[in-house]
Amino acid sequence: MIWDIILRAAVVGILLSILLSIMSYFVVVRKMTFAGVGIAHSAFGGIALNFFFGFAGYIFPLFFSIAASLLIAFLYKRGNMSEDSAIDVIFVFSMAFGVFILSLSNGYSANMLGILFGNILSVTNFDMITTLAVFSVGFVFMTYLFSHFQLISYNEELAYIAGINIDLLYYLFWVVLSVVIVLSIKLIGIILVNAFLVLPTLVGSNCSKNYKGIVAVGAISSILSVVAGIFAAYFLNTPAGATIVLVFITIWLLSFLAKKL
Amino acid sequence: MIEVKNLTVVFDEKIVLDDISMKIGKGEFVGILGPNGAGKTTLVKSILGLEKPVKGSVKIDGVDVDEYIKANGARIGYLPQYAIVNWNMPIRVVDAVMIEKVKPFGIFRKYSKSEMESVRYWLSVFGVEDKMYDYIKELSGGQQQRVSLARCMMHNPEILILDEPNTAIDAVYNTRLYGILKELSRKNSMTIIMVSHDIGAVTKYVDEIMCLNVKLHCHGKSGSINFSDVLKEVYGKDMEIVIHEDGCKNCAFNKDKQ
Repeated sequence: MIWDIILRAAVVGILLSILLSIMSYFVVVRKMTFAGVGIAHSAFGGIALNFFFGFAGYIFPLFFSIAASLLIAFLYKRGNMSEDSAIDVIFVFSMAFGVFILSLSNGYSANMLGILFGNILSVTNFDMITTLAVFSVGFVFMTYLFSHFQLISYNEELAYIAGINIDLLYYLFWVVLSVVIVLSIKLIGIILVNAFLVLPTLVGSNCSKNYKGIVAVGAISSILSVVAGIFAAYFLNTPAGATIVLVFITIWLLSFLAKKL
Repeated sequence: MIEVKNLTVVFDEKIVLDDISMKIGKGEFVGILGPNGAGKTTLVKSILGLEKPVKGSVKIDGVDVDEYIKANGARIGYLPQYAIVNWNMPIRVVDAVMIEKVKPFGIFRKYSKSEMESVRYWLSVFGVEDKMYDYIKELSGGQQQRVSLARCMMHNPEILILDEPNTAIDAVYNTRLYGILKELSRKNSMTIIMVSHDIGAVTKYVDEIMCLNVKLHCHGKSGSINFSDVLKEVYGKDMEIVIHEDGCKNCAFNKDKQ
């Protein structure tokens, strides 16, 4: 029974970490690392609504995160705001809204630690199937359009001349990122999910100068962190998200020292 | 043929380009001069369809620019301003030169032999073929700019638009660069539009000159314009022009040769 739970959590974690590693490359290269924090915290408003109405599904968190990410993208593209400022406005709104709604709900505090820091016991078969579907679509999306995103990140004007619909791809990237982050919350938690948007590329950059190497090393280090973190969390009886992130930070530190020494 | 008609561009209620009309023929090498904030970059961006005018139109070969870009974007080589390129990308020079050739599943892509030969050729034209496998963030600003010029040439463009190509390039290579551009324009019938602050060189190498300061103050053959008057009008009355010729007898680096 317990091995079923570990297996489910590991499958979900591995699939999401591969996808997040590819997205992490563009998030870091485009200096959008705050985006993960913003989107994950935006989901908090949706999770609070889940509590309020007694639901357990993804509908409210997904709705909140996707709406938040599209609004962030819109404010940046059309509202003459920096991405960081746009994220900050949406992020604080969602958190305030979430806390406000939670205060109206009864008995929420027992589950709060799992939402904030992840809980492998909460990963169900449905989560695994959903993650597999999202991974398949997201992986094809990111690998098919990798060189398009590469050109957009290099210079948007050149991408426009090359006939790329920059706005469409920009919004789609944020939507896919929102879905992946919401799916990651059960395993990693709201507070720590951003680690999977930053650390893969940081570890990759310590081990390789080339984008292919950075993405590959990022994915391998993410998978290692998830697997080792889940086992450690099980044996030490600690929150999964925090344990996984601590393993990841250790890998990053080792890669950093290896690069400097 | 590029035809700009009554082009007016406004940013935040401020007129940046005011009623610009001009024609640029195939194979012409045109230099755009003007002080900071004159609208030079906005003009080239409008020609590329990157800025939308409040009035007027841009047509290339008789077709509206947006439609032309959709159908023939690859026939335009564009060098944006140096500062707006992300030079911190973890890509090699060869990747940067190939970056506009987007392909599905590009992360798994390997370049063909002919693509590699083409990259090597254009890097050699701009004197940086030995940097082919270096990472772009490790190059000097001038080398990065030469890599960008090689990238522009990868489609064998019919139109080449260069926004301050000599940024970060040293004075000696600058002269060589203008020579290469002049040659490309003449031999390949390539239309070249170049924004520059290098007044002396522009007047020497280009076929036609445009002086811009929100309005188009002059547009004519390089030798046919009375520059001291027009440039004083465009840059202000304190403008003083000193034309340096190649092989200048009083220049420090030539004294040793004499």
